[in-house]
Amino acid sequence: MKLPRYELTAEKSLMVFEFTSEGPKGQIPKLIKLSETALKGFYNLAFGDKNLESGNIDDSVISNNGDSEQVLATVVSAVYAFTEMERENWVYATGSTKSRTRLYRMGITKYFEEVKEDFLIFGLKEGEWENFEKDVEYTAFLVRRK
Amino acid sequence: MKTIEELNEKKIPIVRIDKSLEKYKSMPIFQDKVDMANEVLRTVGLPKLVK
Repeated sequence: MKLPRYELTAEKSLMVFEFTSEGPKGQIPKLIKLSETALKGFYNLAFGDKNLESGNIDDSVISNNGDSEQVLATVVSAVYAFTEMERENWVYATGSTKSRTRLYRMGITKYFEEVKEDFLIFGLKEGEWENFEKDVEYTAFLVRRK
Repeated sequence: MKTIEELNEKKIPIVRIDKSLEKYKSMPIFQDKVDMANEVLRTVGLPKLVK
């Protein structure tokens, strides 16, 4: 992708990734996790800040590190890596809050032209999946490699 | 040899493997999100794929 992104590390199944956000607030380690769900091949994507003291991961914290675009580009690249291993996997994501979900939508919108060449992208609206369209509010997102 | 900039333009990133991250696979982090995903699966299911 053309947008800058952070270097990723992961365990070998590429279900847990780590990267470090760098900005005015300093270096903030972040974790991306793809979790198994009740349906085989359907994974929940979530990411958040890693608290170095407690070891906990918080997906509600707002880092304000001035690099949200680079963070989202890094998350998108992790989805590319994960789905490259098993192209039939579904990846589901929703924000921890309405505003975080909106941020995800803005992220998908930003990369839409590039990403739609490689992924089927759906948005959840009023209890139904529909093909993702820009400027439509969704409560969750689902992608799969074409 | 490709430059870092050229490599970074690839859609599929270069990922460095770190075994220490394996511990997070079994940790119930983001469990509320997983529960919500399961609820969507139960109530909505998957989108219909047009072949």
